[in-house]
Amino acid sequence: MKTLRRHLPVLLTLLVAMSAWAAADKTYRIAVIPKGATHEFWKSVHAGAIKAQRELAAQGVKVEIFWKGPLKEDDRDQQIQVVENFMTRRVDGIVLAPLDSQALVAPVVNATKVGIPVVIIDSDLKSDKQISFVATDNYQGGCLAAEHLARLLGGRGNVILLRYAVGSASTEQREAGFLDTLKKYPDLKLISADQYGGATRETAYQASQNLLNRYGRDVQGVFAPNETTTIGMTKALRDLGKGGGRVKMVGFDANAQSLADLKQNDIQGIVVQNPFRMGYEGTLAVIQHLQGRPVPKRIDTGVTLVTLENLEQPAIQALVHPPLDQYLN
Amino acid sequence: MVRGGKAGLVRVWNVFGPLLGLLFVVAVFSANPDVRPYFLTGANFKIILTQTVIVALCALGMTMIIVSGGIDLSVGSAVALTSVVGATAVLKGASPALAVVLTVATGGLLGLLNGAAIAGLNMLPFIVTLGMMGVARGSAKWLGGNQTVNYPDSPVNRLMALEAPDKLLPLPIGVWLAVALAVLMAVVMGQTVFGRHLFAIGANETAARLSGIRVRRCKLAVYALAGLFFGVGGLMQLSRLTQGDPTVAIGLELDVIAAVVIGGASLSGGSGSVAGSMIGALIMAVLRNGSNQSGWPTYMQEIIIGIVIILAVAVDRLRQRRTA
Repeated sequence: MKTLRRHLPVLLTLLVAMSAWAAADKTYRIAVIPKGATHEFWKSVHAGAIKAQRELAAQGVKVEIFWKGPLKEDDRDQQIQVVENFMTRRVDGIVLAPLDSQALVAPVVNATKVGIPVVIIDSDLKSDKQISFVATDNYQGGCLAAEHLARLLGGRGNVILLRYAVGSASTEQREAGFLDTLKKYPDLKLISADQYGGATRETAYQASQNLLNRYGRDVQGVFAPNETTTIGMTKALRDLGKGGGRVKMVGFDANAQSLADLKQNDIQGIVVQNPFRMGYEGTLAVIQHLQGRPVPKRIDTGVTLVTLENLEQPAIQALVHPPLDQYLN
Repeated sequence: MVRGGKAGLVRVWNVFGPLLGLLFVVAVFSANPDVRPYFLTGANFKIILTQTVIVALCALGMTMIIVSGGIDLSVGSAVALTSVVGATAVLKGASPALAVVLTVATGGLLGLLNGAAIAGLNMLPFIVTLGMMGVARGSAKWLGGNQTVNYPDSPVNRLMALEAPDKLLPLPIGVWLAVALAVLMAVVMGQTVFGRHLFAIGANETAARLSGIRVRRCKLAVYALAGLFFGVGGLMQLSRLTQGDPTVAIGLELDVIAAVVIGGASLSGGSGSVAGSMIGALIMAVLRNGSNQSGWPTYMQEIIIGIVIILAVAVDRLRQRRTA
């Protein structure tokens, strides 16, 4: 007993030193859960998360990233399973792009119940348990598109909005931003805003053909709020000989096809998001929270207008061709 | 005496074969010291059990169908349609009990239609249920207006809710319900005349008919009963997503068939067991859970589950050759 009392301070110091050493050597294990794994959008998110990991490593903060999408892409139940499996794996934090604003609420609430902080990226969740929501300001994206279209048309002309789908929150916000901004230009007349392109390029192409069959002679400008409607509408305009800027076309979300259309001047502007930054900021946010530092409830990852004029600028190139090779593999 | 002993041994092996498989996959994931402290916990087994419920409930119906020599490809669509029916009922103000009854009854109705076409018109189950797969999926999208059906919070959501996610108990009601129904079905398949008739029909339909079994009536009952199980599966899916989703459970039928086959059933009919199918469903859930937690990429999971299915059937073949 006496010896123990004598050695107690030494033991205690040793213990404190050991725990301090352990804390310094702590590896944060973060699960980053996308909606699917094969789309380039999600690869950019992944690359952004890796960038955050490398920067933190340079500051001496060790982070291990588990990158894992649902086994079947776009399957809500499978994404719930992935969140649950990482919950019992006791990761330190989760960065999640929820496939559904309602269905993923319960697993996120459960994760926070056992003390795992969750940061939501890309699409919103109907919950107040998330540390932060890191995503595009879609309404702002729609405003940007309307202002660009007004500039292209000199403030006057007939305009069509081809909508994407009922119930898709992000594109509805873009459409609302577009329509609200359009009201600032009294000489821009909206001749159609009630048609939907749907989920695939084929359905969007058909809807565009039908729409242009009706309004093709009157229309001077078009806005399409996502990737499939942008590509479908551009193709339909080209078919009718309305490409090359005869009808001004503004789209949303860049990919190989829409960038080629931009270079051919069949599209005069594309509003793009920044998925790379979503992965980057999302990962940083969860680590900041774990280190006890405050994190803003909403982080805007920005929207940018890409045109033929600014396409070759390095900042724009980094947006439309994110440096995936540098971070993945 | 010797004969009885051998038959008993075969029966034991029928359940213990899949059970060994289950223990093997659990052992594989437990071998990794990084994963073990999280994988081998009550909380994790609660998650695994909860994730197994939907496949297990559907596998109860599918076991009956496969034992009787049939197949049902409309399971995933039936789960989607019944979940949308339930969600719509709750949204329109039906009481939780009524919503539950409507959901399960819709499944039974789909099964009855399948059974009527298969038994009444003597059509191939593969074709009939392939058609129903499209009909039910399309109807789900129609009823849901091409989007998910969201309703205000309802007691139905409690069926699959994880209370206390850091402990094994209490398990969600859905898990207990699946266990109870599995016990019930094991008794029905093993101890009742109806159960023996299913095995007889699956083994040799003509012989079964000639020996006085009412084959058509049996088949109708099998598909209708299985439909009820798919309806219960749809109810659990509804509770888990807290919404009716017309696009959910695409390809679920393959998971369910795989569970039944891993559990020792033969697709040519006449063999299979409820216990085996339940273990088959668990094996697949453990594989998914374990590979998530081990950080294996998604494509590895798909490859591994595919290999497990083929291995299970290969082992079954070897076993049959030895006992024949």
